[in-house]
Amino acid sequence: MMEYLDQFAAFLSVYPAKLPQWEGVLIRAIKTTLIVTAGSFAVALVIGVLLALARLSKNALLRGIARFYIEIARGVPALVILFLLYFGLPPLGIVMDAVPTAILGLGLSTGGYVAEIIRAGIEATHKGQREAGLTIGMSSWQINRYIILPQAARISLPSLMNTLITVLKDSSLASLITAPELMLRAKAISSTDFLPMHILLLVGAIYLCLAIPLSQLSRLLERRMFSKLGNRM
Amino acid sequence: MEQFGDLFTRSASHLEVLLQGAGVTVMITLGSFVMAVTIGLVLAVARTWKIRPLNALIAIYVEVFRGLPTLTLLFICYFGLTYVGIKLNPLPAAIIGLGLSGGAYCTEIFRSGISALHHGQREAAAAIGMTPMRAMRFVILPQALRITLPPLGNYAIGLIKDTAVASAVAAPEILFRARNLSTETFDTALIYLLVAVLYLVMTFPLARWVDHLEKKRKAWQ
Repeated sequence: MMEYLDQFAAFLSVYPAKLPQWEGVLIRAIKTTLIVTAGSFAVALVIGVLLALARLSKNALLRGIARFYIEIARGVPALVILFLLYFGLPPLGIVMDAVPTAILGLGLSTGGYVAEIIRAGIEATHKGQREAGLTIGMSSWQINRYIILPQAARISLPSLMNTLITVLKDSSLASLITAPELMLRAKAISSTDFLPMHILLLVGAIYLCLAIPLSQLSRLLERRMFSKLGNRM
Repeated sequence: MEQFGDLFTRSASHLEVLLQGAGVTVMITLGSFVMAVTIGLVLAVARTWKIRPLNALIAIYVEVFRGLPTLTLLFICYFGLTYVGIKLNPLPAAIIGLGLSGGAYCTEIFRSGISALHHGQREAAAAIGMTPMRAMRFVILPQALRITLPPLGNYAIGLIKDTAVASAVAAPEILFRARNLSTETFDTALIYLLVAVLYLVMTFPLARWVDHLEKKRKAWQ
């Protein structure tokens, strides 16, 4: 038992020596991780809302395109989409940096999920609301903008928070196309300092510190929504 | 016309290599699926015993392994464990890493399946003299498993896609072969398009099955 405690103490004693050296790199890497996460979530939200509206539109062509997109985005790994954009486009003359590519690729891929979440939110609002909007002479765009989407957004909020956590975790894939975020730095540090376990556990802890508050917030929102909307739905 | 013929022969020769990778992808998927479902079932049932310290440990496991990126977990299994003298090959490392994170998801899936059942079921089983073990085995689990089929299906779809990450620890699955192939032939766009199609072929039937299950359940309610 004592022997293991000693080993554990030896393991931990590396951190005070190495942390000052890693700190600057890691903080910059966290910033990049957050930029990739926020950027691709924003792209996914825009795509998701547009696709959800397209899926529920009367136009069969729009519906078909949206279904096709969602099917592909949900069936192909995000990493494959990243590789396709980063390695597949340059031979065709389109060259992008790693970070914008990661934001675009993760956003395109997550957009399919967001579309389904928002669609479920729109379908959960009562049909009478749309009809009420029509009777007071609102256009269909106004109905979506002022009546349906604000409610749908509230209903989909907990699921969207979960998607945001997934995006945060998926941002680690950007390291594989050399975006300078947490995992790329972890890999670089582990090969220069030969301390893979130390840096990986540290980076894992950083991801947890970013993800756990989000998941607690999502749980809180879910509970609040059920107690508030419970009698209305 | 000639160009299209060329495209066809190129695709055929790429596919030959990629399909070998597909076998490995299926192996990783099956291996980690079995591991995740086993962990999930055991932990979800263990949670119903209501032993405080045990439940706290399970909650920590679920929270930690759901919060970690799969890539981080795979790197810990593949590069990190060498620190404690464990050297895993890429394939077992991928299966264990994906299985551990999947176990956390499956625990939650089974937990919600079990808690979706009316508590009267458990009481009825107790009233006719079943032990808690027998009630779990013959009354609760058969019903809970049926409820959990759609989310389990969704998890399996996600898992197939997540196996792509195993390419980063050099497991010779589809994406890993694609990377090698594209450095040999420089035919990147076509190769990655084929890869996307291969993943779609694997996930599409599962997605249709999940849709079917969900529609059936909606009609039932």
